[in-house]
Amino acid sequence: MNDGPLIVQSDKTLLLEIDHPKAAECRRAIAPFAELERAPEHVHTYRVTPLGLWNARAAGHDAEQVVDALVTYSRYPVPHALLVDVADTMARYGRLRLTKHPTHGLVLSTTDRPVLEEVLRSKKIVPLVGERVDPDTVVVHPSERGQIKQVLLKLGWPAEDFAGYVDGEAHPIELAEDGWSLRPYQAQAVEGFWHGGSGVVVLPCGAGKTLVGAAAMAHAKSTTLILVTNTVSARQWKHELVKRTSLTEDEIGEYSGTRKEIRPVTIATYQVMTTKRKGVYAHLELFDARNWGLVVYDEVHLLPAPVFKFTADLQARRRLGLTATLVREDGREGDVFSLIGPKRFDAPWKEIEAQGYIAPADCCEVRVTLTDSERLAYATAEPEERYRFCATTATKRRVVEALVKKHEKDQTLIIGQYIDQLDELGEVLDAPVIKGETSNAQREKLFEAFRNKEIGVLVVSKVANFSIDLPEATVAIQVSGTFGSRQEEAQRLGRVLRPKADGHSAHFYSVVARDTVDQDFAAHRQRFLAEQGYAYRIIDADDVL
Amino acid sequence: MTTQQGPQRQAKSPAGARTLAEELRARPDDDLVALLRSRPDLLNPVPGDLTQLTARLSSRASALRALERLDRFTLQTAEALAALPDASSPAAVRTLLAGPAKVKPHPGATPLSAADRAAVAAALPRALATLRDRALLWGPDNGLRLVIAAREALAPTAANPGRTGLGPTFAEASTGMSPARLQQLLASAGQPATPDPVTAVAAFTSLLGDRVRCEALLATAPEPALRLLDRLVWGPPTGTVPDATRPVTAQDAQSPVEWLLARGLLLPTSPGSVVLPRELALHLRGGRSHRTVEPLQPEPAPTAAPRDPGTVDGAAAGQAHTAVRTVEELLELWGLTPPPTLRAGGLGVRDLKRTAQALESTEQTAAFWLELAYTSGLLAPDGEVDEHWAPTPGYDEWLRLDTAGRWTVLARAWLSATRVPALAGTADGKGKQRAALGPELDRTLAPSVRRAALALLAELPPGTAATPADLLPTLRWQRPLRGGQTDPDGRDLREHLVGWTLAEAELLGVTGRGALGAPARALLTAEADPATVLAPLLPQPLDHVILQPDLTAIAPGPLLTPLAQALALCADIESKGGATVYRFTPESVRRALDAGRSAADLRAFLDQHSRTPVPQPLGYLIDDVARRHGLLRVGAASSYLRCDDPSLLNEILADRRSADLRLRLLAPTVLAAQAGPDVLLGTLRSMGYAPAAESAEGDVLITRPDSHRTPPRAAPVPVPDGPPTPDDTLLAAAVKAIRAGDRAATAVRREPAAASGRQLPRTAAAETLATLQTAVLLGERMWIGYLNAEGLASQRIIDPVKVEGGYVTAFDHHDGELRTFALHRITGVAELDE
Repeated sequence: MNDGPLIVQSDKTLLLEIDHPKAAECRRAIAPFAELERAPEHVHTYRVTPLGLWNARAAGHDAEQVVDALVTYSRYPVPHALLVDVADTMARYGRLRLTKHPTHGLVLSTTDRPVLEEVLRSKKIVPLVGERVDPDTVVVHPSERGQIKQVLLKLGWPAEDFAGYVDGEAHPIELAEDGWSLRPYQAQAVEGFWHGGSGVVVLPCGAGKTLVGAAAMAHAKSTTLILVTNTVSARQWKHELVKRTSLTEDEIGEYSGTRKEIRPVTIATYQVMTTKRKGVYAHLELFDARNWGLVVYDEVHLLPAPVFKFTADLQARRRLGLTATLVREDGREGDVFSLIGPKRFDAPWKEIEAQGYIAPADCCEVRVTLTDSERLAYATAEPEERYRFCATTATKRRVVEALVKKHEKDQTLIIGQYIDQLDELGEVLDAPVIKGETSNAQREKLFEAFRNKEIGVLVVSKVANFSIDLPEATVAIQVSGTFGSRQEEAQRLGRVLRPKADGHSAHFYSVVARDTVDQDFAAHRQRFLAEQGYAYRIIDADDVL
Repeated sequence: MTTQQGPQRQAKSPAGARTLAEELRARPDDDLVALLRSRPDLLNPVPGDLTQLTARLSSRASALRALERLDRFTLQTAEALAALPDASSPAAVRTLLAGPAKVKPHPGATPLSAADRAAVAAALPRALATLRDRALLWGPDNGLRLVIAAREALAPTAANPGRTGLGPTFAEASTGMSPARLQQLLASAGQPATPDPVTAVAAFTSLLGDRVRCEALLATAPEPALRLLDRLVWGPPTGTVPDATRPVTAQDAQSPVEWLLARGLLLPTSPGSVVLPRELALHLRGGRSHRTVEPLQPEPAPTAAPRDPGTVDGAAAGQAHTAVRTVEELLELWGLTPPPTLRAGGLGVRDLKRTAQALESTEQTAAFWLELAYTSGLLAPDGEVDEHWAPTPGYDEWLRLDTAGRWTVLARAWLSATRVPALAGTADGKGKQRAALGPELDRTLAPSVRRAALALLAELPPGTAATPADLLPTLRWQRPLRGGQTDPDGRDLREHLVGWTLAEAELLGVTGRGALGAPARALLTAEADPATVLAPLLPQPLDHVILQPDLTAIAPGPLLTPLAQALALCADIESKGGATVYRFTPESVRRALDAGRSAADLRAFLDQHSRTPVPQPLGYLIDDVARRHGLLRVGAASSYLRCDDPSLLNEILADRRSADLRLRLLAPTVLAAQAGPDVLLGTLRSMGYAPAAESAEGDVLITRPDSHRTPPRAAPVPVPDGPPTPDDTLLAAAVKAIRAGDRAATAVRREPAAASGRQLPRTAAAETLATLQTAVLLGERMWIGYLNAEGLASQRIIDPVKVEGGYVTAFDHHDGELRTFALHRITGVAELDE
């Protein structure tokens, strides 16, 4: 028994005691292969998964290093079975490799013939491969490069892709670092991505993922297709690219529901890509419209299923995924791994906060008690209406008013799910409301006004969940949400994490109805925040009023 | 009565004992003790005297048992002895094993290297001594005699060439051949004619045994014939040819086979097959009985570098801790929800699956823990009509031990268990799955393989891990005949068992990272108490936890038992291993409140045991649950009484006559009664009221699940692979008894046998058996007394042919035919007067 900071659990989670003197050293040792699952105040939980181990292999680590890290830092003896399992799992990566063959084109080859025999017996592989060139090599149809990677991952024999990339159409792009420069972790992220060829960079909201994208483009110096979640986000990207790089307005096209521009750098929304007309995806030609040298996926964790399918066909292009979390609520992490690429870089939220790049946040749950008549109405409400009822209860309004009043000097966002509740709040607080029907022009105008502090309070629906940049929002008040979505919680918290000019901390309030499903959902989201390392408090509405 | 193990002519040698019994009689007591220790089956029951002992150890079953327990070289020595004529010398054995020294062998043969020959010579005395100790070999040093049963089992024949791959001798193979044919063969082989078949055989034997002449004969053989011989030389020595018995001569021989057949170099065994005579095979082999002779035990040489023994012990102790905890967890679970036993015994597949899920392990591993608990006597069927598996009272005893003590109980049971958990889920002979805890998982081979494998590990330098492949060659050498059944993949049971043993040893913490841990070493050598060795290696229990704002508590190590219990009450366990992660949920906090803790208690408890301040959300959670706890109250009543007039109810409550009803005022207008509605009605009526009955609901019963236990149960006794090894006291006593019996028997023997006629001979059953077995061997005629099925006594003169399965097959001179006699009906046996 040594005095290490790490405890290995039988379910392959690793507990890291962070107050331990060797904690930082240990974190660096285990980060390449273990996913940080929870980072509350004292003990962080990492999980060792096959994907994580393969990510590590892709990044050039071997089983010996992993075993060594576990054995060196573990406080108690590491179960032998776990070490064997780690070695076995890692040994599975790279037994199969996709390469360019001088005469046969794309081929799948192996260093271990039985493995190739095993996968070739799979019914799912058979349609993807062609003739057997020699006992260790089989031809793969170039169009199935992504598909076969996906299937091989599911079979537990992830293939290493050495088939390389096409350079794409060259286009000069430079970063315009006037008065600012890439933060060290951003530079590392770009370096990690470029070195690996393709892959995913995980950075918390507000840590400047757009800049990582811009820097990657400056590296590639080629035409680039950027896929983002929605139009507002697309404008944001364009704005940022014009400001931070040598690109001009004319070089950047927007491909959305309203505009269909194709320029050297084109920003398209997921929505338009997945729009079907007469049963076919109408905008697929965009992928072939130019010889793209780089494809950037913003918010990879939201990537819709059809985009995965298109991505499978883009395996010869460099792909960069950007996300705040690899957690997908649909569990398709494996597809991200096989189609976009392994994780190339990640930095925990708290660490970047400690470096001062994102603002510290004070999270607070305010519990309101329903009135007797509300409780009765809640008890008799239809099950599907219950959440809506308790989330929009009138009692919350008074609490929101009190909170807004408390922070009247700060820029405040009020975020909610239900439009009538938001309208009502907007009316009471005399604040503009941004919702789905608000036109883009109007949205931009309001955002601009908010940025300029012409208005202090903005009420937004979930349209604002993603990718809008409100630099001076200091307070966010969440009145209702999409049930217990952890992702949404992360996004909303991200709204207030942009570093503040005056350096004081951000406030994040959730107003929750006590003893209802609202509270249960909130508990789920709060747990997520606590696991991200945010201290949070629970207070009663009476303490605010 | 005499028991003679060899042909009569042995008696002419005055130097040695005349029989094995005599030789044993002359051996010191210590040797007999050693013999009985190595062959415990001889003690079942304790033989009456040395004659009986000899008869028993000469039986085929006992001799085979003894052969099975020889190491490879000793066995090879015995095989060489069996291939030699009886009463050979050690030098002859050595020559046969190592090949003759300084003689140019047949060109095709590969002689043994000088080093190997030296190794054989060095190892041979030990092998011969072992055979002698086990009473498989006797006789003077220059006239070694294998016990007949052993010779029969090992001597090469055409049908059973054994591991030497030799065939029968020329004399044996030519039995039944016509004298004319023999002369024909001699002529074809270019040998002078002899007067009779006996001399013809002798001539051939000497020809094949004479290196120079034999080589000369082979030199004339066509190339294909030599190639044919090459194919047979290392066995099997038989080949299939059409029409093998046709008397071909050198003149009309066409094919290579015919060339050989004509010269007696191959002999027909049946119309369709031929055999290579032993003498020729030996000549072609350069005089050696075994292609590879292995005088030395191969030592396991693991490729893995030794680890620091401290690391190994740490890993083993960690796993030992896990093992103990897992068994406890399993039995706690089964105590509350005992799964049913299958009708055929064992556990259903679905229950196993469920258990595996609960333990977060595979079914295979879960089966191991179950079998471990079962073998340790902690788990058993409860014996109810509707039978379930449940912890035994022994489990409660076990719980009182500390972790190290508990582990020792488990490890001891595992070491000697014949249960093989890894067989659970595999298909039996009929393709049915074997059930975990079922009746089909015992393998008598398991404990000996397990012990042997661990003993090998113990001999390696400390900290060295070994794989099954490292250990198997040595284990195979030690007991070549004890491999168990071979499966279709060509892997025998032993190979599987070694793999399973190492896997289980790792699970149980007997090994750590593949190398033997210190506690297990103590267990194997019995030099120290394993528990005292293990105890200091286990992590020290902690008295604190770390509380976190995400409502978890982390115990960074094992907790003191009271703390662990208290924490398990108010939080759910989320992950286990070196540490334990507990999660507080409203349900878990409510559970603690239900168990009588108050919110203040809980907060104080957490405050006291947390190394960090209690996070605000956790405090809030406890208060929030406590706020709502108990707002609703539930109780049991048998009936109620309601009335719109509160004063009337007060009046009834105050009335002394209503005391038996045990009324309680729940609300101003409602009374609850513990008496049933009919009693309530009756009492109220007798008090002068006029109550009306309401349609009543049934009453509520509170049940609390009781942890289930079986009646007292003993641990299952390992299925013995033969009788247990006797201890020294027993052995000494047995030898004493045998000696005493022997003195008595030899004294009696001098009296004339009861041959006077009219009385039935009477002998003890054991003696009858021994005498008849001897008679079979020596072909003696015996006089027996026999009771037929009706109980009528008769006397018969018989020539016993064989003694088997409780029957004697013999030629009965009374009826003039071959018949069988039930041994138990034979009243006695006596030799006939010559």
